[in-house]
Amino acid sequence: MIRFEPRTERDGLWTAASFAMAVVAGLAVSALLLASTGADVGQVFAALVQGAAGSPKALATTLVKATPIILAGLATVIAFRAQLWSIGQEGQVFAGAMGGYLGGQVLAGMPPLLFFPGVLAFGMAAGMALGWLAAQLRNRFGVNEIISTVMLNYLVIYLLSWLLQGGPWGENGATISYQQSPMLPEEAFLPALFGSNRLHAGVLLPFLAAALCAVVISRTPLGYEIRGLGYNPEALRHKGVNIARTVTIVMMASGALAALAGATELFGVAHRLRADNLIGLGYAGIIVGMIGGLRPLGTVVAGLFFGGLASGAVYMRVLGDVPASLVPAIQGITLFFFLCAGVLARYRVVRVAFQ
Amino acid sequence: MSTALRVEGLTKRFAGVAANDDVDFDLRPGEIHCLFGENGAGKSTLSSCIFGFYRPDKGQIFVRDQPVHIASPIDAIRHGIGMVHQHFVLVPEFTVLENIIVGTQRSGWRLNAAEARQKLKAICDGYGLDIDFDAYVWELPVGRQQWVEILKALYLDAEILILDEPTAVLTPAESRILFNIMGKMCARGLSIILITHKLIEVMQSNRVTVLRKGKVVATLNTVETSPDELARLMVGRAVSFTITKPELKPGETVVAVKGLTAHGHWGEAVLKDVSFSVARHEILGIAGVAGNGQKELFEVLCGVRKAQAGSIWLMDEEIAGLTPRCLMDRGVGHIPDDRFREGLVSEFNVAENLVLGWQRSAKYRSGPLINSKAIAKLSRDMIAEYQIATRDEKVAAGKLSGGNAQKIIIAREFRHAAGLMLANQPTRGLDVGVIEYVQSQLLRKRTEGFAVILASEELSDLFGLADRIAVMFKGEIMGIVDPRNTTITEVGAMMAGRRQGTIQ
Repeated sequence: MIRFEPRTERDGLWTAASFAMAVVAGLAVSALLLASTGADVGQVFAALVQGAAGSPKALATTLVKATPIILAGLATVIAFRAQLWSIGQEGQVFAGAMGGYLGGQVLAGMPPLLFFPGVLAFGMAAGMALGWLAAQLRNRFGVNEIISTVMLNYLVIYLLSWLLQGGPWGENGATISYQQSPMLPEEAFLPALFGSNRLHAGVLLPFLAAALCAVVISRTPLGYEIRGLGYNPEALRHKGVNIARTVTIVMMASGALAALAGATELFGVAHRLRADNLIGLGYAGIIVGMIGGLRPLGTVVAGLFFGGLASGAVYMRVLGDVPASLVPAIQGITLFFFLCAGVLARYRVVRVAFQ
Repeated sequence: MSTALRVEGLTKRFAGVAANDDVDFDLRPGEIHCLFGENGAGKSTLSSCIFGFYRPDKGQIFVRDQPVHIASPIDAIRHGIGMVHQHFVLVPEFTVLENIIVGTQRSGWRLNAAEARQKLKAICDGYGLDIDFDAYVWELPVGRQQWVEILKALYLDAEILILDEPTAVLTPAESRILFNIMGKMCARGLSIILITHKLIEVMQSNRVTVLRKGKVVATLNTVETSPDELARLMVGRAVSFTITKPELKPGETVVAVKGLTAHGHWGEAVLKDVSFSVARHEILGIAGVAGNGQKELFEVLCGVRKAQAGSIWLMDEEIAGLTPRCLMDRGVGHIPDDRFREGLVSEFNVAENLVLGWQRSAKYRSGPLINSKAIAKLSRDMIAEYQIATRDEKVAAGKLSGGNAQKIIIAREFRHAAGLMLANQPTRGLDVGVIEYVQSQLLRKRTEGFAVILASEELSDLFGLADRIAVMFKGEIMGIVDPRNTTITEVGAMMAGRRQGTIQ
């Protein structure tokens, strides 16, 4: 018989082993699922790997797909570390794209060195506004941030819907509405890297943002307060930390990061404002942040993994002949096993003799 | 001689460190046997091994002289061992009866309440326990909740009862009742292991086993020993119980409180027209039964609670309504009574906790970043100065014993405060050795010229330390007395509502 005992100290090797087991178990269960559809499992996985990392083009796609997910994941990390359970990343991604689009109209014609930082700042400001609102609701009226952010998600998503259909941002001259804005002018596309036609400069942002988050969380007084807020707000209040102010800062920072995902997606990938490109990115970010153990570096790794899955999905569907809807299923299975690994890492297995 | 329980050569290691090292222990039928030692001496580890929470690495446990293997609390209960924890494991929304029978039924899905009620009635009658089985646990005072825990063990036919620091949460009167009940239980053949670090309780037991650093130092008949000897055995050196307080003339007034009134959650008055002042070189003691406004007074003074009326002057400045941050910057130090909730972040390490509240201070930063090198160095100095028992400054504060956690708070507040020190129950739940240390530190601050406000439920502490004692009852100050010409009995009467002495 075996028994689980809580560990008193972290064991790096055991943690790594737990997550390795999670990958193996996740792949095994995914294989069962694939096999049940009658697909050739080996071929499907080969296609997945091929599509995720099989060529420079595939790697570029993985990076591009991972970019908004990592950014939304970092938004999750910042909020959840403070034990603020913001689910507003989805709406903030939308707000980021909308703010960015507005910025694009305001700043049209500016030189690129002003234009791109400017539009990203516009997008981030929109996300920060949403975060600020949820923080005020919590600080002033005690509204739970889960409720307020979920409700704000609906508000923002339907606002975009209205703006594009019948509202001022819909595509001009279209007889039927596609719920999308006109194409951005080409000078508003984020510049490409290495002459690639898909690898836009925005893919650098998640890495910069992750580094910044890591430094802020672990090395600055603000990060100290964010972690402390998550552990024991009462002690912080007694020791002079303004809890309401810290909550506001965290929610605004989280909103800004998620919004950056939306703005990057608009100027780097979609090049026009439409919901299809944005939907689900915020929620994927929550998953990635959780899988990443609420650490910036872990979130980058988990985000790249998810980006790879998304990019490989296309190949999988074409080469492996399986429905692409299995990809979210595989993501779900992976999440499940990673969460298990997270728990397992905190325990040790002991053998108990039978009596 | 037959034993109710015997432990031979028990060793339990955690990460290579022996928490129990070759421990021999025996419990005779019908005796109260104290396990006495400082926090971290191995008392809890030993009782956890006996009750099946831990499995010993080495050694053998005998129940009624039969070797047994106890792999879990279920095994322990089967062998007639019951345990009452320091923190109760009760469901407040359940009645007394429900709390006892839910989860303790031997078999089946049906709760047989009538039968259980009868059995419990017999137990209660036998020990003279008067408790309403249909009262909700949340309605009961803490002392009665403890009875429920004891009843639970007796209901499961325990013959050996382990009580883990049972008086930590009780008032002196409740403690007396508990010892009364324990006496009756022993008279009826029950054997009790009493875990404690209070000397006054040890002296009421039959025998005592003193543990230090995981080893048994001595097992003695209580009548043949003395508190001084026990304290020396526990700490490993002589402990002075008499506090020597230097004669100092009070200086200028540091803090003056006038007509302070504060309301609780439901608008009830928790502080009523409280006035006093404290000068440099002076310790003002606050006496009172817990829950008579002491906590609220400290909260108002350190800025986490708003007062509805009244004024607080710190030196030449009105400070009522200022935030904790402002007060800390004006030199107010605060040792809260709930150290793990209000004084520390358990998940933070010792170093981080030593700068809690001053994390933005320029001393601990280099540019925008936290200067962890400077903090680590400072922490090592403070760990040495305040004798905090920890492997290093990177250990999480929650892993330390209560006494060492308290030392972190004291070290931090003493380091950063200037002028006024608020100390609410700074020695509660601490070992004799640590108490002596904390008291000497408070006196050191007094000598340095601090004004100190000290609340304690131990009147003997206040009589030893305080220059004046203010007694609180239902949010009011019943009077401020000079301990040199007041008796403990008089203060006790004031704690129950009698007015005496002056009120400034």
